[in-house]
Amino acid sequence: MADAAAVAAGVCTGQKLSTALGLQPGLAVFERDAGRERQALENLACWVGRFTPTISLQPPDTLLLEIGGCLRLFGGAETIIAAVLAGCAEQSYSARWAAAPTPLGARWLARAGGSIKVDAAGLPAVLAPLPCRVPGWPGEVTNRLESFGLKRLGELYQMPGAGLRRRIGNGPVDDLLRAWGDLPDPQQAFVFPESFAVSIELPARVEHAEALVFAGQRLFAALAGWLHGRQLLVRRCTLQLSHDDGPPTALALNFAEPAADEGRFIRLLREHLGRLQLSAPVEALRLQADELVDKLGESAHLFDQIVAGEGALACLERLRARLGEGAVQVLGGAADHRPECATQARDAVFDFGQNFGPTVAFGEKLDNSVRPELVEGQFARTQGLRQAQPERSGINQRFLGEQPAQTAVIGRHRPLWLLPTPQALAEQAGSPHWHGQLKLLSRAERLESGWWDEGEGGATGDLRRDYFVACNPQGQRAWVFRNAEGWFLHGLFA
Amino acid sequence: MTAMPLPVALADVLARGDVWRGDTLASLQDSAIPSGHAELDAELPGGGWPRGNLTEILVDRSGVGEMSLLLPALARLSAAGGWLALVAPPWLPHAPAWAAAGVALERLVVVRAGKQVGWCVEQLLACGGFAGVLAWPEAGIDARALRRLQVAAEGRPVFACLWRPTVAFRAPSPAPLRLALAAGDNDLSVRIVKRRGRPVSGPLALSVPRPLAFAGRNPRAVAGPAFSAVADRGLAAAPAA
Repeated sequence: MADAAAVAAGVCTGQKLSTALGLQPGLAVFERDAGRERQALENLACWVGRFTPTISLQPPDTLLLEIGGCLRLFGGAETIIAAVLAGCAEQSYSARWAAAPTPLGARWLARAGGSIKVDAAGLPAVLAPLPCRVPGWPGEVTNRLESFGLKRLGELYQMPGAGLRRRIGNGPVDDLLRAWGDLPDPQQAFVFPESFAVSIELPARVEHAEALVFAGQRLFAALAGWLHGRQLLVRRCTLQLSHDDGPPTALALNFAEPAADEGRFIRLLREHLGRLQLSAPVEALRLQADELVDKLGESAHLFDQIVAGEGALACLERLRARLGEGAVQVLGGAADHRPECATQARDAVFDFGQNFGPTVAFGEKLDNSVRPELVEGQFARTQGLRQAQPERSGINQRFLGEQPAQTAVIGRHRPLWLLPTPQALAEQAGSPHWHGQLKLLSRAERLESGWWDEGEGGATGDLRRDYFVACNPQGQRAWVFRNAEGWFLHGLFA
Repeated sequence: MTAMPLPVALADVLARGDVWRGDTLASLQDSAIPSGHAELDAELPGGGWPRGNLTEILVDRSGVGEMSLLLPALARLSAAGGWLALVAPPWLPHAPAWAAAGVALERLVVVRAGKQVGWCVEQLLACGGFAGVLAWPEAGIDARALRRLQVAAEGRPVFACLWRPTVAFRAPSPAPLRLALAAGDNDLSVRIVKRRGRPVSGPLALSVPRPLAFAGRNPRAVAGPAFSAVADRGLAAAPAA
């Protein structure tokens, strides 16, 4: 097979390789691999699943899409055809297409090179002028037809059936009848695979991560189509980069809320690849969808204002992909008297699904002492989460649910900001100094806690501190404490 | 000969769109967020914190009540279901205090942006899913970067607030509202440096909630005796910055 530029130079099928290279010295020659072609066809069939659920594969290079059922949804055959062609061009497949009421008719028209759409009334007129070699019948059939003087399919169709069957066999005659629509022509439907694991081999080894975005686009297009075909959403997927030496690199992509949108996949992929350092050149990519979630139908409002923008969670995903893990966090409270441990930071993207999504583990029993009015006011339904249930919020609920009144009171007397580590203060004449002499405004609050953490690496350990609210001459209010080692500044009342 | 124009009533002239009286403040298209302080609302264009525009707060010394000034508005945004983002805060937020102030913790996101504060803020503003974004940009941020943030915020119902040191007052900034905060005697002194409308006459003295735990009972606190070294257990592990 030769592409357009090679054909223009005179290369055609059946030539010897040396002839072809002689005609066009810069020819790039690849070996055909039937397995990879079939794989590519299946990927394309997965991608096409966003347009119609009925697809049929006809290897080596044909896909049949049944669009009669989807015409109304997409608003006409032209829209579907334009979208399919645009998508094929994006994935750099060059395609020839035709639309006809019968599958075989469409196939022959596409093979004959036409980009035409024809309806039932015009089908015979369009099929008639096709030459007899288009259907691809065996050599002796075409030779016989030539010897009969029958060059066009239209002439063939007008011949009496019985005589034709005796001369050229049942197969071609049945094909004719099917193409004209006189015989039914059931196709074998393509079944979307149960789990999605698709790999493509790159034509050349890739050194830079950004160049993988293009290959990744094909994989994600197939993933989006497969999700659409099976009505699922993906929460986590893994992209495996295989090198020729060494173990493959795995890139995990997490979504804060389950997604099926191709644009979002590509944006996230771009962010991740922008930060990835490749240890070795990449030869093949493999995409596997790990965690899948059922897609719930949603009805749109009748008079709806479309809000532009991608939503908070998608933005957080991108920030996290660019800044790294642990950079984007959501706070929660923890039931601990030690101020360093009272704030628990959770990763905004990872832990989100566990507390809010539809696949939450509904196993958390609520404390009996939860006061309903606190639940209602504090945990209102959040925007952007379709299935947020107020009584199933996670850590916050447990923290405030145990003793809501007391912890709210405590929180009112705590500073808004804590220093990452307490800062030692100089002491002059018995009182600490921080930009001036600190005047203690409150009585001592003794916090003594944490014996269980003592000695563990990285844990706060045992605390024994007297906390005071202090004020300095500049008007700053600080939260200082005193322990056996002296005075420390721990927080700021901003 | 041309006829003399008929006399027009003064009220009609003032009602024209292109006549602006010198003592009015600008009105904003989106609704403003009430700040919780009546005298501040009276001085802010639109009657509250603006949405869709940058607000700059210039403060040198922290701990004078600068965040408590914003907290009523943030609590209102959070209670209505909005998301809040803190980008590159200089200290760690203490969750119990924020929760007690009325901010829903599950919708409070802390982003440690490192050097990319400008990019992060732009993404958060542009995505349209956040009701409030508070950012501490790096000291050397220039007017061009601020202009990008202003463009990103425009037209969206988001409250964007940048915290900068007072020396930035001299540098030009595209933010339509700039406030400088300082500590007063027992309250917070707010000086509106720049706003849409006539310049403000003098600083406002606002009382913000301060942590006077036992006011009036014990005006002079005394720190007790130092901890005894005998009962000291493993306190040498406590970090000293």
